[in-house]
Amino acid sequence: MTELSALKSKWFWYSVLCIVCWAGWALLAKMGSYEIPAEASQFLFAWAAVPVALVLLAGRRFKLEKNGKGIFYSIANGVLSAVGSWALFAAYRTNGNTSVITAVTAMYPLISVVLAIAVLRERLTKLHLLGLAFATAAFIIFSF
Amino acid sequence: MHLAPWFWYSAIVLVTWGIVGLLQKLSTNEVSAESALIWLVVGFVVLTPVFYRGKAMFSYSALSLTYIVASSVLNAVGSWALLAAMKHGGKAAIIVPLTALYPLLVTLAAPFLLHESITPLEGIGVGCALIAVVLLST
Repeated sequence: MTELSALKSKWFWYSVLCIVCWAGWALLAKMGSYEIPAEASQFLFAWAAVPVALVLLAGRRFKLEKNGKGIFYSIANGVLSAVGSWALFAAYRTNGNTSVITAVTAMYPLISVVLAIAVLRERLTKLHLLGLAFATAAFIIFSF
Repeated sequence: MHLAPWFWYSAIVLVTWGIVGLLQKLSTNEVSAESALIWLVVGFVVLTPVFYRGKAMFSYSALSLTYIVASSVLNAVGSWALLAAMKHGGKAAIIVPLTALYPLLVTLAAPFLLHESITPLEGIGVGCALIAVVLLST
C-alpha cells in the first residue's frame, strides 16, 4: 500500500526526474569530455547554469533574503561545487570507466558525514557506520 | 600501489562536494533553498575567469559544446526537481538516498551510450559504492 501511494505522490516523480536528470548530466559530461578539456567544460557549465538561476530569481520576483551568512555559505558552496565539477570533467577525460567514476564521486556524503560530526556535532548512526564500511570496501576494490 | 589518474581527480570531487554537503545545510539554515541555489550559481560564475582559456574554447564541435551545455541544464533541473520533491511533501530521509541512486542509471546506460563495460570486480565496487551512498545519505 505504501509503495502504491508513493507512486501516486508528486514527490516520488520529482525524485525520478532528479535521478534521470543527474544520470543524463553525468553521461553528457562524459560525452563532451572526449573533445573538450576540463577547464573549458567547467567554464561553459557555469554559464549554462545562469538561465536556470534567472528563472528561479524571476519566480521569487527578484527578491532574495538579505542574510549575510546565508549568502556567504551559498557562494562558497558554488565555488567549491565548481572546483568539484572541474575535477569531475578531468576525471572523465582520463578515459577512466564512467560507471566507476560516477559511483566513486557520488560517495561525497562520506566527507559530509565526517564533517557534520566534527563541525555540527551530529551523531554517527549505525547506518552511517555501515555506509562507511561499504565505502571503504569500494575504495579498496578500486585501488587495485 | 599505483592509483589511476581518475582516482586523484575523483578524490578532489569527494572532498570539495563533501564540504558542499555541509555548506548546503548551513546555507539553507539561513536562506531558502531557491536563494541558496541562485547564490550557488553566483559562486559558480565567480570562478569562471580561472577556467577561461581564450577564444579557442569556442572552436570545439557544436555537438560537444551541446553535450556540456545540456549537462549543465540537466544538473540544474535535477537540483530543482530535488527541491520540488521535498516541497511536495516527500521526506528528505527518503528522497536524498533515493536520488543518490543516479549512478545506477549511469551504470545501466553506459554500455549502450558509451560502449563501456565493467569488470566483475569493478561491478562489485560500484555495488558497494551505491550501497554506501544510500546509507550515508540517510
